[in-house]
Amino acid sequence: MPAFAFAAELRIGNGGEPLTLDPHRYNLNLEEKILGDLFEGLTAHDARGRIVPGAAESWTTSADGLTWTFALREDGRWADGAPVTAEDFVFSFRRLLDPRTAASLAYFLYAIDGAEEVNNGAAPLERLGVTAPDALTLRVRLREPFPFLAERLIYPTGFPVPKHVVAKLGDDWVKPGNMVTNGAYTLADWQPQAFVRAIRNPHFRAAESVRVDTVTYFSTDDRNAAYNRYLAGELDVIGDFPLGELARVRREAPAHLHVAPLLSMMYLVFNTAEAPFADARVRRALALALDRRRITEQVLRGGEVASASFVPPMVAGYDSAVAQSAADPPAARALLREAGYHAGNPLAVTLRHIAGADNKKAQVAIAAMWNAIGVRTELHHAELNAHFAALRQGDFQVAQAGWFGENNPEHYLELLMSTAGDVNYGRFADPEVDALMQEAKRTADVAERVALLRRAEAVALATHPVVPLYSVTVRSLVHPRVAGWHANARNTHPARYLWLRSEKAKGTRP
Amino acid sequence: MARYLLRRIAFSLVTLWAVVTVAFFLVRAAPGGPFDGERRLPPSVEANLRAAYHLDDPLPRQYGRYLAMLVGGDLGPSFRSKDFSVNELIGRGLPVSLVLGGLAFLLALAAGVGAGTWAACAKDRPRDRLVTIWATLGLALPPIIVAPALVLLFAVGLGWLPAGGHQGARHFVLPVVALALPHAAAFARLARGAVIEVLARPHVLTARAKGLPGRRIVVRHVLPSALLPVVSFAGPAAAALLAGSMVIEQVFSLPGLGRHFVQGALNRDYTLVTGAVIVYAALVLGLNLLADICLVRLDRRASHA
Repeated sequence: MPAFAFAAELRIGNGGEPLTLDPHRYNLNLEEKILGDLFEGLTAHDARGRIVPGAAESWTTSADGLTWTFALREDGRWADGAPVTAEDFVFSFRRLLDPRTAASLAYFLYAIDGAEEVNNGAAPLERLGVTAPDALTLRVRLREPFPFLAERLIYPTGFPVPKHVVAKLGDDWVKPGNMVTNGAYTLADWQPQAFVRAIRNPHFRAAESVRVDTVTYFSTDDRNAAYNRYLAGELDVIGDFPLGELARVRREAPAHLHVAPLLSMMYLVFNTAEAPFADARVRRALALALDRRRITEQVLRGGEVASASFVPPMVAGYDSAVAQSAADPPAARALLREAGYHAGNPLAVTLRHIAGADNKKAQVAIAAMWNAIGVRTELHHAELNAHFAALRQGDFQVAQAGWFGENNPEHYLELLMSTAGDVNYGRFADPEVDALMQEAKRTADVAERVALLRRAEAVALATHPVVPLYSVTVRSLVHPRVAGWHANARNTHPARYLWLRSEKAKGTRP
Repeated sequence: MARYLLRRIAFSLVTLWAVVTVAFFLVRAAPGGPFDGERRLPPSVEANLRAAYHLDDPLPRQYGRYLAMLVGGDLGPSFRSKDFSVNELIGRGLPVSLVLGGLAFLLALAAGVGAGTWAACAKDRPRDRLVTIWATLGLALPPIIVAPALVLLFAVGLGWLPAGGHQGARHFVLPVVALALPHAAAFARLARGAVIEVLARPHVLTARAKGLPGRRIVVRHVLPSALLPVVSFAGPAAAALLAGSMVIEQVFSLPGLGRHFVQGALNRDYTLVTGAVIVYAALVLGLNLLADICLVRLDRRASHA
């Protein structure tokens, strides 16, 4: 392997090792980034993260919102030259929901009629509401109206896999040399714990518009190591770097820095099933003691966007009914007294959070704000997976949590439904919230649906099952030789829209 | 010798079995599980996954199935890496670690013994002091400090060598140096002490009295005896190199066994962690055995000890 860069190679520090490149078995965001270059679903992202037609040229929705009909492109091709057909999509949706595939994100498409039953093994695959009336028409029937389906289909769970290859090779179809894709790139090589390399797919329907020949995604799980490799000129893009370096990068290499708020919500969740947080007054007191802006602007200082709403502020078309309120420590203290806590009987709580130096600062600030109203806070940290395992089991009093994802308010507010399962970490249950959410989910009209969601949020947050804090930011370093990069709240940057400036940008090393 | 060897090999196999057993149960006792991810799994999906990996069986049956697989040379499917088996992952990682560890070992041995001997021949003179200071520093600074410092100096600052990755011989230079440094220092201290001791022995004085040249005395009459403690330290040193390579592989993003092991442990990849532990244990046992055999060849008395 030559040590020098390929003439038109884009070298991306991808933040870690993909655990699979099978679009139906994937789970991680970093896998999404690779798969989005290798495959194309019915809908896709453009360079700015907007939803645009992908393998489907257009689609129509029936008046009741239940039937979606997609018209596939005539020139859709697999990398081996075979046409991409509606039958491939039927095969793929069935494969995703087949319990034998054990797809961890199969529930992404539970909106399809029969999907949940098929995935639970309660119904045969043929029961799934996806049909192919002809080679270029795909019909999808939903169990209830879901106006956000076009967005839901951009995830790899909605990607097609080549029926003719998977039927022949089984699980081995995914290995380098076997894998056949329909996106702008195809898999050339995969060295575990080192890199995944993709090359241009000559059969891609828009192959002539693709300008970068080779994309290499390095498994850079260590932020500091990735940052050093970027500084040494070995990587063109890194999606993250140590927060402590931000000031220096801003000063010395502003042309490299791309900061954008991400569709995300970091929040505190109270375990409402147990004392002391079964008492809404105690939850309200702790919420009132917090000053979000001090956390984002004085502690984190990475451009995070404070939010009192549980729906991130950059979600389009949603105007939260929850007001940005200032901290009110005297009111918080009064509420605590009312609930029976005072200097002689102070409230003592344990705040669970994810390990990490940058993160710890925010938690220490929160503990200090609670200390100011007489609450003793003990911090307890664990690494990411163990942290969320504890939360799902309800093994916490108050904890840091986060939810990433979509450009629709429902995606976040669903967490407050009593039927949400173990991701409703705090076991919050309010019949009025449930009723409003369920009504919203039955409503096909988007404006009406959003109005119901707004009401549900206002009712839920009045009793503070969660304290929304802020949306995180993505801080990427992108070498100025990479052109076509647009920072966006989705943090999606399909390689087919990027190109490399030919002149070696000298003297721009940060 | 043959009986001694057989006894040692049998003992190694029993040790390996104990390691397998402890690793198997310990990794399952850690909080969290292999299917915890960024996103939640609905109960039905988790049930599908647990069934696919036989996690619903009682632990003793899982253990029995695992041992049966091991005997057949199969380390099982990886819980996290869905596209590769543990055999495939270790098959790709081990060569990288062996090259890294092997080169670092040779460098440590050559530099350490060379410097130690060079220092011993000039006891208490400036060059001896220099080597002693270097050896003390080398021992005191762990690779987790030295490696990033080397990266900052030679990759980020001077731009001579790559900061990480695995795309050619140049990518091994900094990792090998960082890994070898503390071991070179240890070898240097050992060699220096041993050479000083042997230099004072009567047969060396005799050789000197006979007017043999200094270099010849050191090579022919001093080093063979002085190397005994160095060789007996080589086994544990090789094991320590393997452990150190985990840190080095992380810092330099080298896709070796250590990186697979660390990632597997963080992600609760039960089979990958157990598989890596088995390979590490086998390596350590094998290297210790090798060192003991070398010792026996150098000094027959050791086989009766």
